Amino acid sequence: MLKRCVKCGLPETYETIEFDASGVCNICRQKNFKDASIDWKARKVMFDQLVEEYRGKYEYDCIVPFSGGKDSTFTLNYLMRKYKLKPLVVQFNHGFMRENLLKNNERTFKKLGVDVLSFTPNWKVVKRLMLEALIRKGDFCWHCHTGIFSYPMHVAIKYNTPLVIWGEPSSEYTAYYDYRDNEIEEVDETRFNRFVNLGITAEDMAGMIKDDFNLDPRDLAPYAYPKTRDLKRLKYRSVCLGSFIPWDVKRNVEEISRDLGWKGDEVEGMPPGKYPYEKIECYMQGVRDYIKYLKRGYSRVTQMTALDLRNDRISKEEADRLVEEYEGKKPPSLQLFLEYLGLSEQEFNEIVAKTVVPPFKPDFETIPSAPNTWDFERWYREGKEKP
Amino acid sequence: MIGILDMNMGNLRSVTNAVYSLGYDPKVIHDQEGLKEASHLIIPGVGAYPAAMRQLEAMNLKDAIKDFASTKRPVLGICLGMHIFSTSGEEGGGAEGLGLVPGEVLRIDTQPGLVVPHVGWNNIRFLKEHPVLEKVKDGVDFYFVHSYRYVCEDQQDAFGETEYGDAWPSVVAKDNVIGFQFHPEKSQINGLKLIENFCEWDGKC
Repeated sequence: MLKRCVKCGLPETYETIEFDASGVCNICRQKNFKDASIDWKARKVMFDQLVEEYRGKYEYDCIVPFSGGKDSTFTLNYLMRKYKLKPLVVQFNHGFMRENLLKNNERTFKKLGVDVLSFTPNWKVVKRLMLEALIRKGDFCWHCHTGIFSYPMHVAIKYNTPLVIWGEPSSEYTAYYDYRDNEIEEVDETRFNRFVNLGITAEDMAGMIKDDFNLDPRDLAPYAYPKTRDLKRLKYRSVCLGSFIPWDVKRNVEEISRDLGWKGDEVEGMPPGKYPYEKIECYMQGVRDYIKYLKRGYSRVTQMTALDLRNDRISKEEADRLVEEYEGKKPPSLQLFLEYLGLSEQEFNEIVAKTVVPPFKPDFETIPSAPNTWDFERWYREGKEKP
Repeated sequence: MIGILDMNMGNLRSVTNAVYSLGYDPKVIHDQEGLKEASHLIIPGVGAYPAAMRQLEAMNLKDAIKDFASTKRPVLGICLGMHIFSTSGEEGGGAEGLGLVPGEVLRIDTQPGLVVPHVGWNNIRFLKEHPVLEKVKDGVDFYFVHSYRYVCEDQQDAFGETEYGDAWPSVVAKDNVIGFQFHPEKSQINGLKLIENFCEWDGKC
């Protein structure tokens, strides 16, 4: 049995978690601090000043890195409607964008009237990166996370636009940065190296794959953080809107649904209709959550009910029921993933088993499957699974 | 342009790299001519106090540095670079310093169990506000390597202190001159922030 927070239910295998004497975790504690002790009026004034410092002086007022999920959509809508900014939307396409998301994006861009730059990296490189990151860290999302956080910074330099505005601060979910420090989380190379890149830089990655992959040294440029000197000379600032206004996911979702007709979606392995606004961007999300379950003994169901429990939006019984019923199912997308990487499920399990976070011990034998989502048949397939 | 003084006494590379990566243009300075172009001057320091002063004399830089400081352009001394701001130092039979921040440099008092030199990470308690110390948290760690310590004549010139055996000033400053006992160029994010602050500083307090 994993030790769990008595308030939100997050287990001891959760990143950065600590429990106090009463059994409440540090993520719950910093949420209390966020609600009670941060001077949000002063933070908002700081943001007003920041925006005015950059408005009208560069090619764009700011860069908004954009996935099309609830947070970046809310951020873009907020900056354009409330601040009348002229942003450049920068989209890093991880390779698995879902149909509903693409429709949301088109609707959002057209309704708001905004310039958009979309970048899709080489798929063959992406596949090799996914395999390497899976083997080394049990986390195949290296290409996406490093690309999402470094590519927009390259664009900031190329377009001479020093202000980059992200959505949700990491303190909502983890304690790498703590609301209690009362500091503004800078989305910079330090943060990138601290938890975005899994401790693997693009340079490291090049060394890891060069012997069995026809790698052009430039292939990994989108995943490498730009040189500090270039960013410093630009006088860049890279911050989260959620560091300046209190982040309330449910309220934000209501706002973008109302203003932009933004639509949620079903996600593999999640209770249908319960959290339709979370992680709808990627059709490999189910695999990510499944690996998390095999490594750490919890998945997105626990994370979502933890948020609700922390906000007193759900009873403990209801949360336990959802976790019991939905958590840890094998997603249909696993098949596609294995095809991409040329792995058998046995090989996949052996790789994941090496990255399990103790004291959790996964049971690979008796795992029921999650149902297909409505768009499963439309997801890109590579071919036959390795026997 | 950020001038970095080369006294032919050790490695300037980490300081130069730090200044460069922070977006500024470092230039290694060997003579009086070089000082003219510099908006800021950094004096890194590795070695012994009397040797450094002899070297400055030989290079005709002793008075030139004082003249530079009198123009109100910012000057930063690191470790031995800070020590020579003092009136005098007792190391190696004693020598006279630049006298930019009155005080003397003495050997760290030996105490049972206290290893000298003081090598490694140690924290700094800020005593006063200063533009170069902005946005760096009180009490965070910096990297030290030294056997001698600063004693300010006027306690008002001590802006930060560190305890190793006794507590002694680890940041001294007077007018447009500031000195660090530790190595900001080897002190990760907090050290780089100090260097950035220095490069942005107009020399006023």
